[in-house]
Amino acid sequence: MLCSICNKNKATIHYKTVTNGVAKEMHLCSECAGEMGIGDKHIDLFGDAFNFNSILNQLFSTDDKKLSSINGLKCSGCGMDFNMFNSTGLLGCDKCYDVFAEQIETMLQKTQGATSHNGKISGADREKIKKRNEIRELKSSLQKAIYEEKYEDAAVLRDRIKDMEKGGEDIV
Amino acid sequence: MSKWYSDSGFQDDIVLSTRIRLARNIKGIPFPNRMGAEDGKKVIDLVSDALSELNYKFNLIRLSDISEIERQKLFEQHVISSQMLKNTADKAVFVSEDDAVSILINEEDHIRLQCIYAGAESQKAYELISKVDDFLSERLQYAFHEKYGHLTACPTNVGTGMRVSFMLHLPALCMTRLADNLFATVGKLGVTVRGMYGEGTKSSGNIFQISNQVTLGKTEAELSTNITDIVNQIIAKERELRRRIIQEKGVSVEDKIMRSYGIMRYAKKISTEELAGHLSNVRFGVSLGIIKDITIKSINEITVVTRPAHIAETGASTAFERDVKRAEIISSIIEKKEE
Repeated sequence: MLCSICNKNKATIHYKTVTNGVAKEMHLCSECAGEMGIGDKHIDLFGDAFNFNSILNQLFSTDDKKLSSINGLKCSGCGMDFNMFNSTGLLGCDKCYDVFAEQIETMLQKTQGATSHNGKISGADREKIKKRNEIRELKSSLQKAIYEEKYEDAAVLRDRIKDMEKGGEDIV
Repeated sequence: MSKWYSDSGFQDDIVLSTRIRLARNIKGIPFPNRMGAEDGKKVIDLVSDALSELNYKFNLIRLSDISEIERQKLFEQHVISSQMLKNTADKAVFVSEDDAVSILINEEDHIRLQCIYAGAESQKAYELISKVDDFLSERLQYAFHEKYGHLTACPTNVGTGMRVSFMLHLPALCMTRLADNLFATVGKLGVTVRGMYGEGTKSSGNIFQISNQVTLGKTEAELSTNITDIVNQIIAKERELRRRIIQEKGVSVEDKIMRSYGIMRYAKKISTEELAGHLSNVRFGVSLGIIKDITIKSINEITVVTRPAHIAETGASTAFERDVKRAEIISSIIEKKEE
């Protein structure tokens, strides 16, 4: 197989990136890979930001009108603006996530296939957040129970939610 | 417990190592790409103070305090990332006393906790790293968002901040040219496969890094189970192909392996490039039981300690001297294990 960039040399480096189920393959010779900064001489266990910039560019470059309106966004916490975020693929501080919320939301949906965290909870509010999440889950179970006409289960769930919401006030 | 490359682990005839990484940041401090020197120092101090209360001891290494060769060595051992070689200002790493955990400070995120074990040991690695994480989260205020979870500089890490990476040696899949097909299939399942043909030649190791792409929307256990299931399927396929290769091409394969073993054991000088191919063949031979007098542990050790910075540290200054030194080290490791 020949290198997909120069079409001259034999491709010896085969890269694959997968974003949300869409695989992109690259077959490169060592020279072209070197120029692109791919194929480090070492086995690199790190490098998670791999090719992120181009992914980000693809995500945002499609809608020019929208782009000009978000170009003005700037984070009050760290001074990061949208252009900087777009070119580096990196956010500057925790506040950026709220400033660029709309763009991040779209991006997460495409790259992560989800927009909300479901794992371990850290931080000062962890107990409060855990409880809120639990109540949310119980409420969805309650709706399911009602839908399935399992009224006895529903009554139990309803009482548990009430209890937790009472207890929750102490924490909040 | 010692460094991953001088230890053994589950399925280590195929899986070189398992690494779990958790990305964390401290609330109210700009991420490393936007922080000043003061903030950088503050992060090191905050983590250092928090860790001092822990029974499990860590040593602090400030990257600006050590030589370039020492930094390169840490990189070759997978303790620090390539990103930390270039710019060392306010960058540091805490290494646990047993070498299992390293905490990278001010890399792309304030804190990157990582645990590396030999073999397929994702559960063991997660248990340890999660304990250290719990301990830190009680003492530091993490940047945590109710909706997005753990906030990271790059949104591709947000949520759990967790990346599980397995390093696999897949000679049979490569020999039968099935690797590309298999990777295209697993690629659809939210998995990143990186080829390790890094040296620009096809025979440079047959080693691949396989890790989860998604970090958000699933629990840590779900993410870990998903990637482990996929890796187990790859391992099963590799084992099946190894059996077939031995049945069909037994003598030819054995010949190739033993020739490589001869070169590794008796060569008087050898370059990194030449070594890579022989190392893959010999690793294959050891895991098939064709070479019985050395262990996978020794192969992993050779893989790491023959890297350029490790050789440079011995004082060999020219390429010729380094190749001679490399050959010497390899035969001494092989001889040592035979006793």
